[in-house]
Amino acid sequence: MPHIEFASVVNALILGLSIASIWLIAAIGLTIIYGTVGVINMAHGEFLMLGAYTSYVLQSFFGLPFLLCLPASFIVVAAIGLVIERGLIRYLYNRPLDTLLATWGVSLVLMQGVRILFGSDPKYVSVPEIFQSNVEFGFVSLSVFRIFVFGFTAAVVAGTVYLFYRTRFGMQVRAVMQNKEMAASFGINADRVYMTTFAIGAGLAGMAGCLFGVLAIVLPTMGTAYVVQAFLVVVVGGGTLVGSVAASGLTGELQSIFAMLSNDTFARFLLYVLIVVFLRFRPRGLFAVAKARR
Amino acid sequence: MTKNLFHDKTAQWTIYAVFFLCLAAIPAFVSDGFLLNQFATYGVYAMLALSISLCWGFGGILNLGQGIAFGLAAYGMAMTMQMQSQDASNPLPPFMANNSLEQLPFFWEPFWNTGFGIVLALVVPTLFYVIFGSLMFRARVSGPFIAIMTLAMLSALYTLILDMQPYTNGVNGISPPAALHIFGTDIDPYSTKAYWIVFALLLLTTVASKLLTQSKFGLVVQALRGDPERVRFLGYNVALYETVIYTISGLIAAIAGCLWVMLVQYVSPAQFDVTFSITMVIWAGIGGRLSLLGAILGALMIQGGQSYLGDQFLNTWLLLLGGFFILVVRFLPRGLAGLLEKVLGMVADRQPRESGPIARPLAPHHAVGASEK
Repeated sequence: MPHIEFASVVNALILGLSIASIWLIAAIGLTIIYGTVGVINMAHGEFLMLGAYTSYVLQSFFGLPFLLCLPASFIVVAAIGLVIERGLIRYLYNRPLDTLLATWGVSLVLMQGVRILFGSDPKYVSVPEIFQSNVEFGFVSLSVFRIFVFGFTAAVVAGTVYLFYRTRFGMQVRAVMQNKEMAASFGINADRVYMTTFAIGAGLAGMAGCLFGVLAIVLPTMGTAYVVQAFLVVVVGGGTLVGSVAASGLTGELQSIFAMLSNDTFARFLLYVLIVVFLRFRPRGLFAVAKARR
Repeated sequence: MTKNLFHDKTAQWTIYAVFFLCLAAIPAFVSDGFLLNQFATYGVYAMLALSISLCWGFGGILNLGQGIAFGLAAYGMAMTMQMQSQDASNPLPPFMANNSLEQLPFFWEPFWNTGFGIVLALVVPTLFYVIFGSLMFRARVSGPFIAIMTLAMLSALYTLILDMQPYTNGVNGISPPAALHIFGTDIDPYSTKAYWIVFALLLLTTVASKLLTQSKFGLVVQALRGDPERVRFLGYNVALYETVIYTISGLIAAIAGCLWVMLVQYVSPAQFDVTFSITMVIWAGIGGRLSLLGAILGALMIQGGQSYLGDQFLNTWLLLLGGFFILVVRFLPRGLAGLLEKVLGMVADRQPRESGPIARPLAPHHAVGASEK
């Protein structure tokens, strides 16, 4: 056991929070889509990628300020998600494995389409100067943008919770989640609830992609880097919002601590193996909704 | 109503025989070693599609991590072939020296012996599948979650192998300098010998898989694809059946991994790439996951098309492939083989009822018809 200093532990914990917020913002759209619609959306990574490209295009060709790119990415990618849901996903709701495969096909088409349109060379999304500086907390140094991502993620989670637990639409969504037929018999248009939820989930992914365009470079393949983590957050969390928040916090901190003891890649390997073992004992995730076994 | 020719066992076996006779005829027409090597590589892909069809088509286990078995076996084989070029005076492969290793790592030691090395290349992935499979299936992880878990495991191995740079040469991979030397001869990857080895193993695995799906075991496996709960209530150990079919498919993928390295003399973490494993599923999906031969033909068609169009149009090709795959999932969940099944079913329905409702087709006669499709 190497000698571990107090400062480096605190540093790792704070870094872990930052990692957690990044994974959570990547996973939140996926959580909503999986939790409500029950679709494993393999094209999620490409929704992130589309969000990044949307910001790139709006910023470099139309000079839109970065903070306005965020809502713009939401709208554009939500619209794309809407088209995909209406054109394809809605026909496959009762075939979960097939939605997984069909959305993989969608992801291939989106990735290649973007590659043909924009080429394979990296693009960049720039941020206002204030985000580029670093802040010192005693012995911890963190970039302002990462703090912004953390705050933004918290705001998005709060907004989503408000939408799903405090509005009429949210009540309809939860009713459809619990029992689609019963909800439909009370006059809720389940089809429209699914459609809207899918679009919102896609839009949230687009907004996350806008942030990732700043954190890393914009490439047609950038989505794949985040999508496995996003899936694991959803699976460990069990597909609920609370679950995803807890799961991303847990996995982010573990990743950061393992990385402190070894290195980033080995930490990731260890984390994945731990998650597989964890799911052996809790196949339905941390906060499993008690569901009747079919 | 006559029986659908698609379900006729004699017709099926005839088609398989015709298919393998065609493959056996290839060396007589192709003298170019490079082309022959490419055909043999397609044979390896066919074997992978076969393994996916067995696991996903018949067992209903959507395995997005078949690269685990393929890649592990490929690494085992590459290590074996690498050690054939080393000797006692020079025990370190060059890349290890470049990564400033002083000694051969302990897990490389067994690969001094070629036979033992190949056995390890097959046993390690198979054991991995047994352990991982029994963990998952006993926890009753099912459906899409298996897909995610296999995907996660695949990514985990990918990062691990990338990370162990001094032992695996990281992203550059291992490229053994010489062809495989076994049973006293060199297996030149561009020779007919290499082609026949792939052919023989493809034939063997296909026939074994076909027999397996027709056995009682195969029937239970297909039943649990339909409704695992009901099979469980009938008293079968569902987890055991799932683990066994998953492992068998892993073993076939492992054999494919060994052959692949024999043919290309190269392995890298790219074999653990998520995209490659999902490509295998696309082969089986488009060809027809419920038909072993359909899946095999799917792999041959798609890989053949890809190399025919060349790297120039690769992006467009992948775009079209994705689009086509969406259409197949949406409209033809059983792939092109399912389309054939439907067409033959319609043909059977339109034929006049010759001898009442329990009419049995004249199998050999129909078999000839089937081979002419």
